[in-house]
Amino acid sequence: MSFEAKNGSAADRLTTAGIDVGSSAVKVAVLRSANESGTEVLALRGDRIRRRDLTRVIDETYSVALDEAGARSDDVAYVASTGEGELVSFRTGHFYGMTTHARGATFLEPEARAVLDVGALHARAMRIDERSKVLSYRMTSQCASGSGQFLENISRYLGVALEEVGELSREARRPETVSSICAVLAETDVINMVSRGISTPDILKGIHQSMAGRYIKLLRAVGCDGVVLLTGGLAADSGLAQAMREKVQEDELAMEIRTHGSSVFAGALGAALWGAFRHRVLERRASTSRTTGDTEQMEALGS
Amino acid sequence: MDVCVGIDLGSTTTKAVILDSSQREIGRGITNSRSNYEVASSIAREQAFVQARFNLTHQALSEDSRLADLEERFLPVLERNFRIQHYLEQLQRLEAALLQAAVAPRHRDQRRNIEPVLETILAAMAGRAPALFGALAVRKSEFFRDLAAADYMQLAEEAADPKGVTFDTLSSLFDQAILPVENTGGSKALEALIDSALDTTLVALATRLSNDIELLRRAVETARAVRIDEVASVGTGYGRQRLPFPKEQIRSEILCHGLGAHTMFPDTRTVLDIGGQDTKAIQVDERGIVTSFQMNDRCAAGCGRYLGYIADEMNLGVHELGPLAQQSTFHVKINSTCTVFAGAELRERLSLGQRREDILAGLHRAIILRAMSLLARSGGISSEFTFTGGVARNPAAVDALQHLVNDNYGEQEINISPESIFTGALGAALFAHRTAREAA
Repeated sequence: MSFEAKNGSAADRLTTAGIDVGSSAVKVAVLRSANESGTEVLALRGDRIRRRDLTRVIDETYSVALDEAGARSDDVAYVASTGEGELVSFRTGHFYGMTTHARGATFLEPEARAVLDVGALHARAMRIDERSKVLSYRMTSQCASGSGQFLENISRYLGVALEEVGELSREARRPETVSSICAVLAETDVINMVSRGISTPDILKGIHQSMAGRYIKLLRAVGCDGVVLLTGGLAADSGLAQAMREKVQEDELAMEIRTHGSSVFAGALGAALWGAFRHRVLERRASTSRTTGDTEQMEALGS
Repeated sequence: MDVCVGIDLGSTTTKAVILDSSQREIGRGITNSRSNYEVASSIAREQAFVQARFNLTHQALSEDSRLADLEERFLPVLERNFRIQHYLEQLQRLEAALLQAAVAPRHRDQRRNIEPVLETILAAMAGRAPALFGALAVRKSEFFRDLAAADYMQLAEEAADPKGVTFDTLSSLFDQAILPVENTGGSKALEALIDSALDTTLVALATRLSNDIELLRRAVETARAVRIDEVASVGTGYGRQRLPFPKEQIRSEILCHGLGAHTMFPDTRTVLDIGGQDTKAIQVDERGIVTSFQMNDRCAAGCGRYLGYIADEMNLGVHELGPLAQQSTFHVKINSTCTVFAGAELRERLSLGQRREDILAGLHRAIILRAMSLLARSGGISSEFTFTGGVARNPAAVDALQHLVNDNYGEQEINISPESIFTGALGAALFAHRTAREAA
């Protein structure tokens, strides 16, 4: 990890975890923060759900992440869930996905003034300030065309692993134009392209271009300019980022599309960071309420 | 003997029907191979010819009074042996494809560990094959992909190690390897498998049927030797633009479904066909000629794929859905239209503790509601009303349709044939038969 670690005194050090439960993958981040500005990432772990029992995947991913972090579950002061985190039975608290992605994005890329979170089902564009505050946002509609699930389906039909999609797309020579198509019926369109002899890179690139067009429109609708950080599962797809950069250039927009090696974990990181923040607030309150004996209020805040 | 072949190239499955010169159906085949139209139609065709071969054998045995009582002991065993050998042969190809997929650079770290895990899984799968095709076995699907996936995923989940060869790695290998396996065939290899299944069967039955075994062998070999000549063929379906047939041998899906439904139920006036990728409401006249139709477009909601997607989400075979949904006791209204979102809604509702039977019933109603609006736009329902396509095999969809039809058009019977998935292919074969008769 390339994050700067500033070690405070041992007493200030706080270990927190963020668990981002998406519709297709579970992501876990374990952090140690010395104070609010110096944070060390101890572990980042993700696992795809693939129709398995969700609680089991959550437990398993969390325990592997703890091992990697060299931490025991008792060491973790705050377990913050986000996404569909209601299923994380051992959570200390839950944070809304928009705020965790915004927080994770500014952590990974302090210059980011907009975030595009592309998950399996939804894409979300947010304009944020330097303190991770969400100023405005826009989401895709109730149709999965162009979503992460859509791309996953396509790669399955092409017999390509999701990890290979980005690299293949960047090899395209003559991208095949794809109209916005149903995520489920896309299969047939892909079969048609394959039997017309169109290469896998050209098919993937065409799909990336169509997705890029959608997402740029979404970003423009919230009035984003400046640095945009991609987060969520598709942030790892270098082909999508490339297609978006080309679109920005073509339309001469004042946007700069960036990704980060840990973009996929933005939600989990943001949750762990907010968890640390809230834990400190609660501690401060607890130390004052200890004198008044108001522990009920503290519990209410924590859950 | 002269035969005519009809092929219906659908989005989910490809169907073939073979008719003899008196328009009697003697064989049919169905495949879920999807990556290439040519391969899909040759696999379906090959299966139909294999079935025709079994039918000829059956006919030869039942015509000979000395063999008639042997037939029921012999033919089912022969067919079962054939299926097991076919399944094992596909498993072998799956194993080769899996090992090849494991060579990819991104598996470099785990490669040495992946191979033994794959071999253990595949060995266990092969061990289960005879039980899978046992006399009373209930299979969750007729397709290799579904049968193999069910066993593979279960064994992979047991064998996976979150710190070594993960379940994600194993399932992504399967996704890659299954494609080449289901997309090869049509090479007359199945005919050869019949011969080897025949040998196995005759050896196994030899002691019990010692007196009749030669008689039996001769009868079977005679039936195997009958030449089947394909004199005409017609193709239809979603891929009809690219069917490996000349243009004059292609008919539209609407025409084939109209004629097929008319042949199954001659008094049909309205046809609802819910296929994999489109839903059609068709009005036909007393000769089976189409007078008007409506089709849905570019969205999986309301088509068979909707249910197929849901079945995949639940790790169920698509024909397990209906019977489950019929056990519903509580009305659930699905909010999502999009198929993918409905899949997410399903998981969400399940994790909230709703019963899957109730959610499934809601999903079935959702697809039929969309069909009802197509029917209304095509001119409503006139008696007799025939329901065809893959979804007509789903009892919960039929219940939902019956209910909504009665509500909107008054009491109305619905014609449904268990062979309704072959309606388009049957229509195409009938067109082929007409062509052959005109040429003669």
